[in-house]
This record gives sequence, structure tokens and C-alpha cells, in this order.
Amino acid sequence: MSAPDSNRSQWFIDEVLPHEADLRGWLNVRFNRVQDVDDLVQEVFSRLVRAYDTGPVANPRAFLFVVARNLALNDLRHRRYEAMRADALADPLTIADEMAGPRDLLAKQEDYKHLVEAIQSLPERCRQIMTLRKIYGLSQKEVAERLGISVNTVEVQGGIGLRKCIEYFRQKGFLRTPTP
Amino acid sequence: MSNDHDQHDSFDPVLAAASEWMLKCDRGLTPREQDALSSWLAASPRHREAFAQCRWGWEEFDRLAGLSEVRARPADPDLLAHASTPPRRQARWLWPLAASIAVAGILTGIGMGLWRTDASRGVRPDPIAITRVEQRMLDDGSRLEIDRGASVAVDFARDVRRVRLLQGQANFQVAKDPSRPFIVEVGSVAVQAVGTAFSVQRGTGDVAVVVSEGVVAIGTDSGPAADHRGGTLLHPGDKGVVSLSEPGGAVRVTQLSREQLDEAELWRPRLLDFDSVPLEQIVAEFNRRNPLQIHLADSAIASRQLSLSFWSDNVEGFVRLLESSFGIAVEWRGASEVVLTGKGGRARG
Repeated sequence: MSAPDSNRSQWFIDEVLPHEADLRGWLNVRFNRVQDVDDLVQEVFSRLVRAYDTGPVANPRAFLFVVARNLALNDLRHRRYEAMRADALADPLTIADEMAGPRDLLAKQEDYKHLVEAIQSLPERCRQIMTLRKIYGLSQKEVAERLGISVNTVEVQGGIGLRKCIEYFRQKGFLRTPTP
Repeated sequence: MSNDHDQHDSFDPVLAAASEWMLKCDRGLTPREQDALSSWLAASPRHREAFAQCRWGWEEFDRLAGLSEVRARPADPDLLAHASTPPRRQARWLWPLAASIAVAGILTGIGMGLWRTDASRGVRPDPIAITRVEQRMLDDGSRLEIDRGASVAVDFARDVRRVRLLQGQANFQVAKDPSRPFIVEVGSVAVQAVGTAFSVQRGTGDVAVVVSEGVVAIGTDSGPAADHRGGTLLHPGDKGVVSLSEPGGAVRVTQLSREQLDEAELWRPRLLDFDSVPLEQIVAEFNRRNPLQIHLADSAIASRQLSLSFWSDNVEGFVRLLESSFGIAVEWRGASEVVLTGKGGRARG
């Protein structure tokens, strides 16, 4: 293993694996109809590692729970389970936060400067939607409820927000512009 | 309003479509949408590239998950509103200047973050979400105004444009296209128009249709793309009401007076333009048009004259502007009532 690889392994052992049991327990209780929890956990881990390889991750534990819930909800939707348990929709970060140690995360905002600034550059509604969806991991429906707007609006304004973020990334050179 | 803003950017319609698709994916695609997305992606490499960027960008934001300390705190949609905004936004203005900047801001769609000055720092209660009436343009150029709490589902096919009103009320300004009838479905009631403007309100037991322009037919939605022009015809100024439980039943048609028509359309957003108008009158205008009621607890501020332009449904922005730039104290009493008092000292008008 090369040096970055062993850093990554160490990080994975220190920062990620300790949350595995909680994550599995939570998935088993809240999403007991998800077909393959092992698969799902693997997918979440590999997404987290990919994210780690390409930049900073604010809060690995929160990342695990938020991404796991997104995947689980997708899985349920795909298999057309209409009636999802209400408690499956509980705020994932409340759970992610239990037992989490003290943090000083906002101080490290520099690391996510381009992401934070992209969101800050948005019109208010778009910004709120991106914040609730991405930082707090609420689903689009929950975002609609939280902001008292229609799910349509969340979808449309979220789309506008994402487009503006991508434009911002292009402008700042974080992303290449598609060749015409 | 965001359209005004877009024109200044190099607006990329492919990117816009790709990001809309990404949000649809995020909320879960219907099988039909899945097909539509596949064909959209297959249509052009530019589509695929834009979509790949959107997917990448969307997932990139997962890094921010749990960015803030969230324990025992409700999610704050404005978490990122304060920090490191451009200097212009942090300036404390004298109020006459603030008014003109703020109004320019709203007209160009810059967004309400502008008025979050540090006056509200620390003591600002949990933000109360005030819904705006949604203004939406459909692919065919038709315009929708969707009232607070209302929801619609758009389902366009080659030969028919269908919009389902799931709840609440909406106004439709339909782009003319005789080859593709425009049908609003409310339960099993169908309202059809070709190039016209009308509002549909879904009540608990019935559907009300108010026509402001053109001709609209109300019928039942039986059979695929049925021709609803055989139904009851409504003309401008007509209000037709039909029972949801008995969609084939009689349509009760009444003629609305000009005042009743205006009354029925009060919820629709209008740009209100005030030139040296007493605050009392401005507030009355907002109160007429919004569920949120503003009370002036202080006669000194009631007579203050202000000049400003606002969309009638942007009552939250209006209140925030008063708070941040006109030295007015704001006390929220739930989501439907707000009380304004003067802080004294800063009043100049």
C-alpha cells in the first residue's frame, strides 16, 4: 500500500468503522424492509471513501447516516413500498449525533469553502433547500414541510439551486465547462 | 424573479434540464420519468455530460452532512446565511439608501439574504416559514401560479397537456396549442382550455373554476384524452362549481361581478408599487392578499410614508425589510400573525 492508502486505512479504522455497528443497528430497526443491509452499508462506505479521496468530509458519521438513509429510501421506493414507517423518516442527524463526540466543525469551514460559498451565493429559497437537504439530510418532502412550501417548489427551486452551484463551480474552475 | 437573474448569467438550458432531472432522481423517479430520463440522456452527449456534472455536484454536497452541531436543535435553513457574505451585504445603511437597494434587490431576484443584517443577531427566533405563491412556467410556455399549500403534477404527452391539481388552487395561463389540449384534472373532474386564463380551486367537496379569459369546458375525465369540449362551457367572468363526488353532475354557473373577480384573484402575486404611501395602507394591501396578518401596534409608524416595490406574496421579505432597514421591531405570533412597533430614534420619515 502506498502512503496515502495507509493514511486512508488509518482514517477508515479511526473515523468510520467505529460507527458501523450503530449504522447497522439503525438500519435494521428503521429500515427493516431494506433488502440487503450489507450491500447498502458497503455502498455507503465506498461512497465515503471516494469522498475522502477527493476532498474533506465534514462529519463522517453524519455522512454515513445521511447517505445510508438516502439509499435506503431509494431502495424502498424502487420496490414500491408506499407506506414507509413514519419513524423511518426521523431526522437522521439526530440519530447520527447521539454519542458523537464534541466537535468544532464550523471552524473548519475553510475546507469546504467552495461548497459553502456555492450555497451562500444562492437566492434565499434555493439556499435553504440545499442547506436542509444536504447539511441536515432532510428528504425533499421534509424540506417542503420544514419550509412550509410545496414539494413542487422544493424540486424546482432545488434544481435551480443545483444549476447555480454548478455554474458557480464552472466559473471558479472547480469543474470544466462542457465542450460545445 | 429568478428569470431576471438568469439573464445575467450565461444561462445553459441543458444544464438547467440536467439539474431538474437530478432533483427528480433525488426524490425518486416514476417509471415513466425513468424512461423519459433515459431518452433524454440518449439524445445527446451534452445531456450526458451535464447530467454527470449535476450528479457529481449533488453528491459533492454530501460532504457537508452534519457540518454544524445539530444535537437538540431544529434544522436551521439559514445556517449558511450569515457567514462571509459579500461586503455590500454587511454594510449598515442609512434607511433612505437601504430602501432603494433593497427594492432593486428584489426586482433582480438577488434574494432575501440581503436584509439579514446583524440587527437580528442572537435574538432572532426560529425562522417562521412563510410560503410564497409559486410561479412556474411549463415547457409549452403556459404559466402557472400555484397558491400556498397547493400542489400540482404536470403530465405532458405528445397529444395532450395534463396538469393534475392535487390540492388547493392554481391559476393557469395557457399557451395556445390547438393540437394539444390543455386539461386540468381535479379528481375525476376535467377542465379543458385552449389558450386561455383561468383559476381552479379544489375545495373539500367541490371544484371551483373561475375564467378570466377565453373559454373553458368542465367535464368528466372519462376515456383517454377525451374531448371535454362537450362539457359545460364557461366564459370570462363565469364561475363554475362542480361536486367532486358527482363529477358528472350539474355545473353550477354564476356570473361574478368585477369586484368578485378581483376578490377571487387576490391570492395571485402582483407587483405592488408604493410611492410615498403611509405604512398603514401598505400593510392593509398585504393583509388583503396574504394569510399572514400584520398588525401595527404603534400609530407613530402607521403614518410613516414609504416608497417600495414588492411582490404581494412576499410578505416575509417586506416584514424583514421593515425590521432591518426601517427601524421597526417585529414580533412573530405564530405563523399567521406579526406585530410591528417602532423602535424609536431612527425614524426619519
